[in-house]
Amino acid sequence: MLRKNLDPARGLGWGPFLAGFVPGLLQWRLGQQRRALLAFASCTLLFFAGWVLVDSRLFYWALLTPGETDSAIVRTLAQFGLPLTLPELLNLPANALGALLAWDGTPLGERAWRLPRDHEYVGGFLTAASGMLAAFWSAAGHWDLRVRRDAGQDAPRPVANPALCAGLSWIVPGLGHAKAGQKDKGLLLGASVMAVFVAGLLFSQGHAVDRLTASVWWIGQNLCGLGSLAAALVAGPLQMQGAPADLDLGVVLCTVAGLMNLVVMVDAYTVAERSVFPVAVDAGGTP
Amino acid sequence: MSLLFRILVYVPVLFLVAVVVVGQHHATARDTLRSAVRRTLRWMVWSVLLVVAMWGLSLLLIGW
Repeated sequence: MLRKNLDPARGLGWGPFLAGFVPGLLQWRLGQQRRALLAFASCTLLFFAGWVLVDSRLFYWALLTPGETDSAIVRTLAQFGLPLTLPELLNLPANALGALLAWDGTPLGERAWRLPRDHEYVGGFLTAASGMLAAFWSAAGHWDLRVRRDAGQDAPRPVANPALCAGLSWIVPGLGHAKAGQKDKGLLLGASVMAVFVAGLLFSQGHAVDRLTASVWWIGQNLCGLGSLAAALVAGPLQMQGAPADLDLGVVLCTVAGLMNLVVMVDAYTVAERSVFPVAVDAGGTP
Repeated sequence: MSLLFRILVYVPVLFLVAVVVVGQHHATARDTLRSAVRRTLRWMVWSVLLVVAMWGLSLLLIGW
């Protein structure tokens, strides 16, 4: 049972939100030392597995590329990994350390940001995956905080960990719903996301998901983990023989698919969450 | 790009987006699909209205 006088919309506040940017910090605060260590180690190792391949190339993919500005503030922030390289920014400590190690503000160093690297598609996916993993660890910490604050002694156990469901849906769209007990709905949602993503790849002849040429669009496309992994391994490294006629359409469709999967991830989290914190349902079956 | 090609891409994608959007309010695939069809039809009406409004604006501001 829920505690009395509970406002379900009440958030956990700025402290837990900001703590979520450091993998494992929320688990540490909850007294889960082993999980905290696991969270920090998994996110850091995943980041540096990619970082050894891309190095300072991450600056080139940032929303605010420090080389394109004379702003001292932007350049100073860039040294600490804060030029908004998404989703790596969600794994704040590893991203900051990687930026500090890779930073070279000289013209020669800035030129190196633009130089292609071997296996940079895979490296870029791994560093991004570390940011996504950090977000799921953060969601797990928030879930445990919420349960500790709001759930009473005799509250039911969740059908599955909501953060795990969200993470599974990132890897394979719809898998989180299957884990949470909604198999047919998960299959439908996953098929819908993948259909739009595959259509985007077909229209663009495999060139829609490319962090090198469309790094801003790629942030949205990366929300479909399976699709962006496939693109990093197979489609990304393909040589482009002239721009396909429907490249723009493909880029947009793959980004829409990523944003659709964001909705699927949030819904998977919510389905598992409601097994502990149910909401009132009206006569038509709509919450 | 022909109008037919645009519609052939737009309508199915609209339906698939509707599946994901309305899926949040249902627990089964059957309910989700039924609701998505209705939502797609409603969005198509809004899309037509939007296109007509934009066409009207272009006539007003740019001319024939």
